[in-house]
Amino acid sequence: MKEKIKIALAQISCKREDKAENLTKIEKTVIKAKKQSADLVIFPELSLTGYVVRDQIYELAETIPGPSTKVIEDISRKTKAHIIFGMPELSEKTQATIYNTAVLVGPEGFIGKYRKMYLPTHSVFEEKRYFRPGYQAAVFDTVLGKVGLIICYDIFFPEVSRLTRLKGAQLMVCISASPATRRAFFETLTVARAMENTAFLAYVNLVGIEDGLQFWGGSRIVGPNGKVLVQAKYDDEDLVMCDVDYADIRSVETFVPTLKDLRPELFDELKKQAENL
Amino acid sequence: MELAPSVLNLDWQEVETKIKRFIKDYVEKSGAKGIVVSLSGGLDSSTVAALSALAIGGDKVLGLILPEKETRNEKDIEHAKLVAEKFGLKSQVCDITPTLEAFYKTIPIFDPAEKVCKGNAKARTRIVYVYYYANKLNLIVCGSSDKSETMIGYFTKWGDVAADIYPIMDLYKTQVRKLAQHIGIPKEIETKPSTPALWPGQLAEKELGIKYEQLDLILYGLEHFMKPKEIAEQLGIEKELVDKIKHRWLSAEHKRRIFLTPKLEYRTIGADFRLPRSYY
Repeated sequence: MKEKIKIALAQISCKREDKAENLTKIEKTVIKAKKQSADLVIFPELSLTGYVVRDQIYELAETIPGPSTKVIEDISRKTKAHIIFGMPELSEKTQATIYNTAVLVGPEGFIGKYRKMYLPTHSVFEEKRYFRPGYQAAVFDTVLGKVGLIICYDIFFPEVSRLTRLKGAQLMVCISASPATRRAFFETLTVARAMENTAFLAYVNLVGIEDGLQFWGGSRIVGPNGKVLVQAKYDDEDLVMCDVDYADIRSVETFVPTLKDLRPELFDELKKQAENL
Repeated sequence: MELAPSVLNLDWQEVETKIKRFIKDYVEKSGAKGIVVSLSGGLDSSTVAALSALAIGGDKVLGLILPEKETRNEKDIEHAKLVAEKFGLKSQVCDITPTLEAFYKTIPIFDPAEKVCKGNAKARTRIVYVYYYANKLNLIVCGSSDKSETMIGYFTKWGDVAADIYPIMDLYKTQVRKLAQHIGIPKEIETKPSTPALWPGQLAEKELGIKYEQLDLILYGLEHFMKPKEIAEQLGIEKELVDKIKHRWLSAEHKRRIFLTPKLEYRTIGADFRLPRSYY
């Protein structure tokens, strides 16, 4: 396993409902990032289809593996880069049950996927109408270290990233489609999740306007001490890189020992209270 | 929540940037050649015309000045031209009086004293002109409705509100004034009393019986789920006034949501077809 990796944050805008064009953009971006020696290239939430596709989601969703993941696997194989992207995933067992999923592939093929657990359904968001929530936190042991995946609104719930950390994640990846009015939340929460878990956090947000909804970008990598190591532009497409050295976790974890000081007995009480809210 | 005027403060530079990006993105994706705005010389339409010009260039924006005999106001026409000149947009004047007069003549039940029906006909006639230009020149129609008037239904259904996009519909009137100030709309336009110009002497605040400064705070409170009693107490006004505004807001939803049909089939227009607004 590599201790030091180079991560590329591919902050793109998507052409809504046009998977072919988005796959082409993903391929071009991965090639560009690879030329700058990126080991891992991360794309936003639902970057295969765009975010505001509403009922069209039923026509766009695909199984995993499926035609689009196959294309991404080919790109990964060809470029030798790992890729994380988002797509609507059609359940293999049903005909119209869809998940909002993050997919991780590497040069050897498909590595794993994470189904978004917290689906915002308020204000401009209508995810519960379309998606079934996932039920499991996801961490994958890769040559690029232990990578945990979360998606957008999951970051508001510390237990999701905490779970990935407890399962060993060194790098927590949050892919996102966050509109401009939510910027302050994400700028705070990305730092908080990295600090409280003493792990790296890579946040990749969408840009562009979909059905009047403006996505703000601002993708970033936060170190285990909460320091923002790199940040992409607001509102425009961007590709930024950052070297991450997992050895940096140790010194932070030693003197900010949030994992050592965890109190599991509180979780029972937390569960009880949450059930009676 | 404290209902002080400061709750309506926004970062006006950020608002300007967001609106310009919204306009530019929509025009580009639609493949249209530009924008047409019905330019009355009032605050809202001047602001929208100026923002359009700032977003895509004045040479791609057409301000249509559409006066008619009964409400014609040379000052408004002068203001409309002033905005066009300052922001470098094209303008054209079409006097809609002959159209209206011909229209009135063909209606057996026409009643010249019925000012609301006549006023709404004027607003709808203006939009016929605007869409003629839009079709002929491949332009997007930019609406000038603001949040205050749209919330309380102070507009003509299928009339002045008809447009393809609404750049300032999420801003209350007093916020539009601040934005206008920020982007350099001439002071005399920014501060003049608002009028829908449906009949002579019509002034919005007089007709509504409330100043926009107060109306906007009431609407802001309602938007944030505050109870009328709480709003009234904070603003030091009668609860009945807040109730009246709330009633206007809720009873005008039929003007904001179009296409109501009984549900008969699998997917119904207006009820459960949920599609992105545009397909490209």
